[in-house]
Formats: sequence, structure tokens, C-alpha cells
Amino acid sequence: MKEQDKKFSVTRRHVLQGAAAIAGTAALGSSGRAFAQDKGKIVIGTWGGDYARLLNKNIEQPLLIANGWEVVQDQAGDPQRRSKMLAEKRLPRGTTDIQGLSAINMYQMHAAEVTDEIDYSRLENAQYLLPSMKYPFGVGHIYSGKVAVYNPDVVPEAPKSYKDVFDGKHGDKLGIIDIQYQYTMVAAALAAGGSPTNLDPGKELLLEMRKAGCRIYPTNEAFAQGLKANEFGIGIMWKARTVQWQNAGINVKSVAPTEGALAYVSGFVIPKNAPNKDGSYAYMDAMLHHSAQENFAIDMGYNPTVTNAKVAPDLNERIGFTDEQIKNLVNLDSEYMTDHDVELKEWWDKEFKG
Amino acid sequence: MTATTAGMHSVARERRRRNGLSAASLIGPATIIVSIGLLIPIVILFRYSLNQYVPRLLMVEAVTIENYVKFFSDEYYWNVFLTTVRVAFTCTLLCLVLGFPLAYVLARTQTRFKNLLIMMVVLPLFVGNAVRAAGWMTLFGSKGFLNAVFIGIGLVDQPVQIMFTETAVIIGIIAVNLPFMVLTLQSVIEGIDRSVEEAAFSLGASPWAMFRRVLWPLALPGIIAGTILTFILGMNAYATPVLLGGPKFTMMAPLVFGQMQLGNWPFGAAVSFILMVTTLILTATAGYWMQKRYRR
Repeated sequence: MKEQDKKFSVTRRHVLQGAAAIAGTAALGSSGRAFAQDKGKIVIGTWGGDYARLLNKNIEQPLLIANGWEVVQDQAGDPQRRSKMLAEKRLPRGTTDIQGLSAINMYQMHAAEVTDEIDYSRLENAQYLLPSMKYPFGVGHIYSGKVAVYNPDVVPEAPKSYKDVFDGKHGDKLGIIDIQYQYTMVAAALAAGGSPTNLDPGKELLLEMRKAGCRIYPTNEAFAQGLKANEFGIGIMWKARTVQWQNAGINVKSVAPTEGALAYVSGFVIPKNAPNKDGSYAYMDAMLHHSAQENFAIDMGYNPTVTNAKVAPDLNERIGFTDEQIKNLVNLDSEYMTDHDVELKEWWDKEFKG
Repeated sequence: MTATTAGMHSVARERRRRNGLSAASLIGPATIIVSIGLLIPIVILFRYSLNQYVPRLLMVEAVTIENYVKFFSDEYYWNVFLTTVRVAFTCTLLCLVLGFPLAYVLARTQTRFKNLLIMMVVLPLFVGNAVRAAGWMTLFGSKGFLNAVFIGIGLVDQPVQIMFTETAVIIGIIAVNLPFMVLTLQSVIEGIDRSVEEAAFSLGASPWAMFRRVLWPLALPGIIAGTILTFILGMNAYATPVLLGGPKFTMMAPLVFGQMQLGNWPFGAAVSFILMVTTLILTATAGYWMQKRYRR
């Protein structure tokens, strides 16, 4: 045999050694996984950023991973995840066990026959869940309300209502968020005497605001930057976000509007083809645990959806709502919004922004 | 004699067959990946574009051209389309004007820092589009660097609105696309013998005449490749128009995303198909025209 051939030859001994090494590595790997996956794997679809980090910190690590579950986060924006759920609709086995969505999108996925009805008998903590957070097709995780926000340096007179916010006298001192078109249109409708299913009065009011010179910001973050830079001084936003901005040093105050604050609910749904539904329910139950809910209130400023979560009075004053304000919370009509969303967005793009 | 000729033909056939096989094995994997990763999704996308949107069901199987009719009959969408073509065209033209001299200098320079200069051109590509746009935002904002300078030197009293304008988008897209144009042109110009330029000068050509009659025609393959590349990137720009253009400025790629976000897949698919076909037609036509016009 030539020297060249010797160099690259593979003997039977080499093959056996290689096979033994692969088998050994596989055995080590599988034993490790067996330890980590005592109860199985839960794949959760969620937004990234702080929310994903806090899910891990407040729910997954202390309540699931510590109890033998393996949790994998599939992080993406909700449009991408809804698209994925729709694309996977025909598959017998999907790729996620539980998905985080807003209340309207939870309804949209349910209407599109992508998600399961929730079996509340499988959730131990469902007994503490606020009735308004018990959707047939999803479970509310956290909520906040759309409040009037203002910078007292720019707009000294505190608004009391959505009507005070959507007032032409503010001119270019009124800021509006583009991606919040649904809530803005409903809030304007309430301000103009309409309702969550009668948005026409709000449309007229918004066009008046446009004529008066209101500023439109693309995202919540751009809105916060504008507020910080005193480009404008009044608008509407989730109370929880206001708390985060206050913590970041932005001079902003909030007021629950007299028309009733629009409720924002973020919750979870179970895709019909979730591979591990025991895991889906285990995750939902863990997220409703009072400790997880209390920590979300502290870390993120959103209100708990269970009655046994205890929020410190000073924190509750900043993030929470009074009993009367809670009673007055206005929900978007999911059916109406789902049926008219394309039409509303076209109006927003063509008439309001155009 | 006949047997020898037949044998030679057989050897030649065998060689051709082997060459064919090796060529197939070289282009095969890429072709399979392109077919699976690009052509099949395009076919699916086209099929979706013929479906109907029904609010609660989102997409219902149908064969209708209503999504295409909606796009072309609605002034709003038509304007989005025209804006996209205008921005892509402007960016491509400016990239060519700005990129050609830079590419020429890079190609002809003898300095030992040549690699460093090329690296500096490539460097912006190391950062993602969104991050680069975020950088522009800090420059263009009402309290950003540019406005601070303008106000500082007394050029203006009030901040100038640069953010959320078409100008900001064009600047942002040029910054993204310029390296592609420069690198494409530089590699082609480097292949052009310097002596042909000198020959033109020695025959009394002015620099402009040399550029027009010698350099431009010889660099045409690079110019076509560079313009096609930057035009396609400009037509499909997403992050830059969203971040720098603001809510009132819309281009086709953000429009596609917006429709998909609403769950209106059929219309979103139709818009993306229109974008793709338009890009293809415009680039093919421009390439054909330029070759016909200048390559004689």
C-alpha cells in the first residue's frame, strides 16, 4: 500500500472506534435530556423582548422547569406567529403548544378554527380567574387600560376623558400611534358619542384632529420618544406603558377616561394541533399562579387577571384601576373588529393618514 | 479508417456525456435549492393571490382576479406602487452616480491601503438594515445630530423635518445599497485594461469622451449588474421605509406585511406578486435596453 493510500484509509478498527464514540455521545445526550424532560417539552409562541424574558423569569423557571418541564420559546411578533398557526392549520401536529395573543387576535384565530376551546376544568387556578378574562377560546394573562396620557409641561390642564384628548385645541400637541389604529378609532368613537360597534362618529372626530395638525407616530416607542422630546403633550396609551415610561424618567401622567378605559388583554390560546396539550394546560395554570401574576405586576406594570394575586397598595395605585374604573372598562367588540378590520385599516391608511 | 473515425466519435460522445454529468452535478444542488426555496413558494403565493378574503375565515379557496383589480383600480395602492418605483429608481440612479467614481478610484488605486479602502466600503454591510436605520434616526430626529448642528450654526431656528420624509428614506436606502453598486462596478472596472484609457487620451479624447466612448461601454456589464442589484433591493426595501419613512409613507414591501398582518393573505399575496413581476419586468427591460443601446 502506498504512503498516500495509508493516510486516508479507514480500517475496521477506526469504524468501530467511531461508532462507539457516536453511541457514547448519544447515550450521554439522551440521559441528559431524560433528566430535563421529566414531564415533556412545552413550546410556547410569544413576543420577544421583555415579555419573553419575564415569562421565563416569573413562570417558566420557578413553576415549570423546576417541576421537570422543558420549555422552549418560539419568539416572534404576533402577525408572524398567527401566520404560522394558519399555515400549520392543516397539519395533524403543529409546532407550538401554546400561543400568546391579544384578545382580538385570540378571537380571530378561534374564528379561523385554528385554536381549541379551553377546558377550564383542567386549570386549577381557573377558580381565581376574573370572569371577564375567561374567554371560551383563550385565557387572559394580564390586562391594562387605555388611558389619557399627558405631559404637564406641555399640556398643563389634565384631561378627564377621551373627549378632552381628542380636542382640536391641542393642534400638533396631540400624538397618535399608527399601530394602535383599532384602539384609537374606538377611543375616538367613545369620545364622539359612538360605541365599540359604531365608529363613524370617531372617524369624523379623527379627521378633525388631522386637520388640526395632530402628529402620527409609527410605534409605541416612537410615541414615547416624541413625548420625551416635548414634540407633543397629550395622547392615549396603556396605563402599564405609562408606568414604564415614568420609570424611564419621562414626564408623563395618566388619567382613566370618564367614558371608560378601553381594556387591553394579553392572553394565551392552544392551537388545535398542539403536540403536547398537557404541557399547554400546565403552562396556562402556571401563568395564572398568584406568584407569577404578582411578579408581572411588579416587573411590567400590567394588572393580574386572578383574584388571589396580591399587589402592594402603592404599586396598585400606579398600575391599577379603582373598582369603579374596572367596572367601567370597555372591551373592544372582537366580532365587530374581526369582521371590519380590513375596512377600518383601509380607512385609517387612505382617509386618516393619506 | 471508418472504424477509427467511429471510435473517435464514440470517445467524443463519451467525453461530452461525462462533461454533461459533471455540469449537472455542479448546478444540480443549487437548482434544487432554488426550486424548493423560491419557485414553489412563488407558485403557492400566486395561487393564494387568486383566493378570496372572508373576515372570519381569512382565506377561502377561489379563482378570482379581484385582488389584482382592487390593487390597480384603487388610487391609494397605485400611489404606493408609483412611490416604490420612484424611490427605487432615484436610489439606483444616485447609487450609480455616487458609486462609479468611488469604484473607479478603488479599481485604479495602487496604494497599499487598497484592501482597507475596500473593507471600509463593505463595512456597513456588517450591520443589519434596521440597526443602520436606527443610526439614521438619531441623526435625523428633531433633537438629532443634524438639527442640533443646523440650530447650533444658526442655519435654522426650528428643527427641520427630516425624519418621516421620502428624503430620509432615499438617504437610508442609498446607504444600504451603495456598497453593492461600488463592489460590482469595482470588480468590472479592475478588469478593464488601463492602456485602452491611455490610448483614448493619446488619440486626443477628453476625459468625458474617454468615459463615454471607452470606459462606460466596457464597464457596462458591471453597470447593468450593479443597477439591477440596487434596483431590486430598492424595490423590496422594508426596514428603511418603515423606520425612516414613518406612518404616512408607504412602499410595497411594508404594504405586503401590513396585509399579511391583517390576515388578508390573498391581497397580500397579490401585492407581493405585483411587486415581484414589476421588478422582474423593469430590470429585464432596463438591462436589455442598456445592452442594445450601448453595446455595439
